[in-house]
Amino acid sequence: MSPLVAVQCVTKSYGRGSTAVKALDSVSFEARLGELVQLTGPSGAGKTTLLNLISALDRPDRGEILVAGANVTSLSLAEAARYRNEQVGIVFQSYNLLPQLTALENVLVPMIPNGRMDRDRALELLDAVGLADRGAHRPAQLSGGEQQRVAIARALANDPVLVLADEPTGNLDDENARNVMALLCRTCRGRGNTLIIVTHDRDIMHTADTVFELRGGIIAKVKSNCHKGTPGPNGHPANDSHCRR
Amino acid sequence: MIWNKIIFGGLGRRGFEAVVASLVLGAASALVAGSLIVIEGGRYALTQAERDDRPEIVQIRSRFNRALFETPRSGNLPPLTLPVYEPLIEPEQLSSATGDATIVARQSLFRNVVSGDRFLNVYIFGIDPVAEAHVSSFSLIRGRFLRPDDGVVAILDDASARALGVDLGKTFPVRKADGEDLDLTVVGIIGKLDLRNAPPRTVEAPALTQGSSFVSSGVFVTLHTSETIFGRTTLTDALVVARTTTDVPFLVDSLREAFRLEPGVFVTERYSQFSRKVHDFVLTLTLFTLIGAATALLAGLFAANLLHDVYADRRRYYATLIALGVSPARVALAGLSLGLAVAFAGTLTAVLMSVFFRPAEFALPSLMANLGAIEPRFDLSVAAAMAAIALAAVALGISPTWWRLLRHPMATALSENGR
Repeated sequence: MSPLVAVQCVTKSYGRGSTAVKALDSVSFEARLGELVQLTGPSGAGKTTLLNLISALDRPDRGEILVAGANVTSLSLAEAARYRNEQVGIVFQSYNLLPQLTALENVLVPMIPNGRMDRDRALELLDAVGLADRGAHRPAQLSGGEQQRVAIARALANDPVLVLADEPTGNLDDENARNVMALLCRTCRGRGNTLIIVTHDRDIMHTADTVFELRGGIIAKVKSNCHKGTPGPNGHPANDSHCRR
Repeated sequence: MIWNKIIFGGLGRRGFEAVVASLVLGAASALVAGSLIVIEGGRYALTQAERDDRPEIVQIRSRFNRALFETPRSGNLPPLTLPVYEPLIEPEQLSSATGDATIVARQSLFRNVVSGDRFLNVYIFGIDPVAEAHVSSFSLIRGRFLRPDDGVVAILDDASARALGVDLGKTFPVRKADGEDLDLTVVGIIGKLDLRNAPPRTVEAPALTQGSSFVSSGVFVTLHTSETIFGRTTLTDALVVARTTTDVPFLVDSLREAFRLEPGVFVTERYSQFSRKVHDFVLTLTLFTLIGAATALLAGLFAANLLHDVYADRRRYYATLIALGVSPARVALAGLSLGLAVAFAGTLTAVLMSVFFRPAEFALPSLMANLGAIEPRFDLSVAAAMAAIALAAVALGISPTWWRLLRHPMATALSENGR
């Protein structure tokens, strides 16, 4: 079975010359359809950078990222937007809900490019995240946990094959964090979405199929719970020797 | 509905800056529109002056433009013919001196006309019907205008027609130079006459414009007929229409050179006076334009800066939309819609106020005093200038934000807090 996401020898640096910082150094890994992948590691390890590259919000210096067999590292701005709209759902740490829209309208936003805003589906998604009765509320009228649940519903609006979550519980208290994390994992599992989640949450390590630990821009450690995840193209867990520098 | 909210919502504290930007643009637009409508009014006044002055027309006339004078044949006195003053303008000489300019040739006569038991002093003009119609205005109330191939027919003004007791289709006699009478058939009655460079009114004769010091009436015949009456082909006066006003000095020199040996021939032009008027206008126009441009620049930049603040604050907002899969073009359109709405709300209000509250007349300073009070005018060019200011402010305001969004990874904008 071919992987849904294949990250191949990806390198990304920020800054130039002597101030350049290597955020990712020849990182490779794969994730299959329906797999739940956790990216963990200390701050500055390159987790968010990796998610940004997979979601085509940024471009790597070297390497390729294949999603459903298509290289997403060379997409134009418009193509990248279309790719995200059709295949990717993103859950941001800071929610990034549009403040003037209601919860329901926020869930409808990703449907705008399709030209068909399915209110029933949006309501169904809000119901799935336990916010059926808060559809008319604006983000400012919702708690942090509720806002993040709206963001999860929004990420699932177009039924993407891939959901990327960047520290979705980073701004939440413990109880809310647990609830949101459980909801995200449960929802993605239930819908068969591939979920790549950046989190420090230790509890999810038991739930995730594969856990990659990033350190200093390389994959330092891999833990596979059910042998679904594949650490690298040749089974190599981290910065592979086959990557040309 | 949701799209309207996306475009205009979520401004937060920057909403106040958007309102201020709109007000600033409005104030600037009002001032600039005020200047521009005065400028347009001045330009229109100048166009009117140009149409009235016709600076491209040069007049050449001989001193004696009255060919023949007769005492009435009725009464105790025998008919008396005064000496004929020979007009001095030879058509061939004139043609060779004017090059490709258009000549409006004229023979101007003064005759005593006897019709039935009446007689009358009338001015008779031999004209080229086609050329004359381009410089003078004849409003006929009955009949038709002269044609180049007309024979012994005439059109005359309503006052003269009534004085002579003639109407359409009737004839009246005019004494020729050889002493014979020529019967002219009336084919048209003139209700209003504006003869360009009309000769001065020197004797009592019917007039359409009472109290005018220039001839405002007369009998008009073709040049061919007037030559028959006059017995000569020489012209009493002529108008020479230069191709452009800039040709006038050369044309005047050429005419003066051609008729330098004829002391009774005078060449007059209005171009010099007109060019001085234009010069004055340009100075005034420049003054108003500079004021308008400086105001537009300063206020436009200020408004653009305010809009820039609004857009910079929404950079992350726009990046979020693109991250969610909305096409960049659509997001750009949303941004532009916001700016255009802000800019045009102010500009349109100001322009409407300027137009509504503009004075009926605007007396310009002495530079253009000879144009008289001008009427401020709002036209397409003013509207275009106003739209350009608003568009420029929006373009300047949105450009840095959009440039950063396009040139930097979307992830960078998403990780920003505000600016």
